[in-house]
Amino acid sequence: MYELFKNLGAWLVSGEQWSGPDGIAHRLAEHLQYSLLATLIAAAIALPVGLLIGHTGRGAFLAINLSSFGRALPTVGLVVLVFLASGLSMWPVYVALVALAVPAIVTNTYAGMTAVDPEVKDAARGQGMRAHQVLFQVELPLALPLIMTGLRLALIQVVATATIAAYVSFGGLGRYVFDGLAQRDLVQVLGGAVLVAVIAVVLDLALSALQRALFRHRPA
Amino acid sequence: MNRRTLLGGLFAAASVPALAACGSGITSLDGQGSVGSGAGSSKNGITIGTANFTENQVLGYLYAAVLEAAGVKTTVRPNLGTREILIPALKGGDIDLLPEYQGALLHYLAPKATATEEGEMQNALAIALPQGLQVLPYGMAEDSDAFAVTRETAEKYGLRTLADLAKHNGKLILGAAPEVKKREVGVVGLKDVYGVEFKEFKSLDSSGPLVKGALKKGDVDVANLFTTDTDIQTEGWVVLTDPKNLIPGQHVVPLIADRRADSTVRKALAELGNVLTTEDLTELNRQVDKDKKDPEDVARAYAEKKGLTKGSS
Amino acid sequence: MTIEWSWISGHAGDLAALTVSHLQAALSAVFFGLLISLPLAVVAHRIRPLRGFLLGLSNVFFTIPSIAIFVLLLPVSGLTRTTTVIGLTVYTLVVLLRNTVEGLDSVPTRTKEAATAMGTRPLRVLLTVELPLALPVIMAGVRIATVMSISLVSVATYIGDGGLGQLFTDGFQRNFPTPVLVGVALTLLLALVADALLVAVQHVLTPWTRQKRGA
Repeated sequence: MYELFKNLGAWLVSGEQWSGPDGIAHRLAEHLQYSLLATLIAAAIALPVGLLIGHTGRGAFLAINLSSFGRALPTVGLVVLVFLASGLSMWPVYVALVALAVPAIVTNTYAGMTAVDPEVKDAARGQGMRAHQVLFQVELPLALPLIMTGLRLALIQVVATATIAAYVSFGGLGRYVFDGLAQRDLVQVLGGAVLVAVIAVVLDLALSALQRALFRHRPA
Repeated sequence: MNRRTLLGGLFAAASVPALAACGSGITSLDGQGSVGSGAGSSKNGITIGTANFTENQVLGYLYAAVLEAAGVKTTVRPNLGTREILIPALKGGDIDLLPEYQGALLHYLAPKATATEEGEMQNALAIALPQGLQVLPYGMAEDSDAFAVTRETAEKYGLRTLADLAKHNGKLILGAAPEVKKREVGVVGLKDVYGVEFKEFKSLDSSGPLVKGALKKGDVDVANLFTTDTDIQTEGWVVLTDPKNLIPGQHVVPLIADRRADSTVRKALAELGNVLTTEDLTELNRQVDKDKKDPEDVARAYAEKKGLTKGSS
Repeated sequence: MTIEWSWISGHAGDLAALTVSHLQAALSAVFFGLLISLPLAVVAHRIRPLRGFLLGLSNVFFTIPSIAIFVLLLPVSGLTRTTTVIGLTVYTLVVLLRNTVEGLDSVPTRTKEAATAMGTRPLRVLLTVELPLALPVIMAGVRIATVMSISLVSVATYIGDGGLGQLFTDGFQRNFPTPVLVGVALTLLLALVADALLVAVQHVLTPWTRQKRGA
């Protein structure tokens, strides 16, 4: 075990390991690209759905079941299925990652919306605000903390799961995990895993800092 | 993917040490077992492990078919991974037997080995193998590594032999299973023997959907395939010749743990080895890959057809 | 992408066996996860400084790709079911630990004080008062952990196990969608059924939550 971690140190700091197409810098960039793009696409789909369900109060049953359905979906199976349908392309990776991220964002957005005090909404309407004004100026700002939590949760899961890209020939930090498995090079596997964990934690901290910065100036 | 496989997965870990401890029943007839530790016994069954590609599973189930016919209980665990994963598992006792390939196995154990002739390789293997493991006699069937290009690529770059690749150093992309990057019969040997340097190595799979898909699509220029892959013919791919004999002979050879090697196993697998030809193996692979038949069914049907299941029981 | 129904009917026995194996791996993980989480959660609940550390640690585990955990366990437990179960157990911890701690936190201090005042010993308070009251939150965690484990088992196909996940690698290698579709469908079905059963179990175990709703 000690040997493994000592070699990991050497692996992580060697300059050679950081450069080139199979270098850490490049793999890290690929991993971030897959993760951030997938989370963005998922947010573009899930936020409107969550807001709509929360605002109208209809479809809550759907949102909750979608969440448990999404958690049960086996990512490996989904990746292979899309691969068999689309061939060698990025489709399997993005479909699987988006499917993973959507449920967390929808349910948290919905939960955030339902947590808004109905009296606040009534008051806003009483002041003559239109439906879309109530949604964007009252409900959304109040639901934002939970929405952000959903986004963070989704992003962490996506970062950890983006390793799957390597299974269908693409890059990212999963390359080290899958290549290390094939070569029985545990240092490489551990290196890949540690880097994934580090960027997941760093992204999470960054998002929570952003979240705090956004809400600091607001009363209550 | 049958019930035996599954039970193997569930119980292999628990049963192996327990059974090894009580294997005192029968005296093995086998006089030439492992050195020192005495002969092994297959009395309590054998767990066959196979690598992550079709042919190895076909071979694993062929082994199972002939061993079962000889009265040996078998469990097949398909798709366990690469040689790099399987050999430690064989040493550790998770599996007892696996279908191997002479040259590739030798180069894994002794990367600088020079033997190329079958008999020499068999001797070299006996020396290179770690204690507790042995190879049984090799069979007729052979599945070699091939480095192939599309017809267009061959014409465009004037590629006929592996040596021709060196004329385009830094330009071509090689696609192969991840382990090939570190292997002698792979990136290392191609550089040492032919002076070939690729622009990039793409980690794909062992003559599977990724590497073949990438070659077809043009994502890689050179692909590492198996010579028993029927797609080479159907797609009209060009296999580069190997004038300097980098790629060793790859006769199928059973690799077994001493603790399970007895005369019953030896005899059954030797018979199979003397019957199964390269053409047969290629055809069995095709039935699994193209006709979507189960490797287990294909193997059993073949063993029956060739009279290999008229064993002692 | 066509489904070959004859393949499915011809492999009913294999599919049933894979499903059982799949479920066995997932349930073992949740069982061991609970076995580890319950005492750790009591510690985290009682000793405040350890709370952040334990919860943080389980969160970090969650960020490690599951395939890497399986591979890193190979030198320890080899190509066995044990490797699969240990790997999955690690993942259940994040949910089970957090929910159990939150469940214990949700028990009103007054309730505990009342039990202590009646002369109940601390261990008895824990077992007969705190844990039962924390049960709804713990069960919510068990449900999430079970569904998550059922979906994750298939990752172990990369080390030759993985229950229904074996159908994914098989279909992938042979360009054969039928086993993959069946594997996905059975995984989803397994998760939904397991979740429904857990809801029923919770219903039986916590009758007081029903009465409250009725009131």
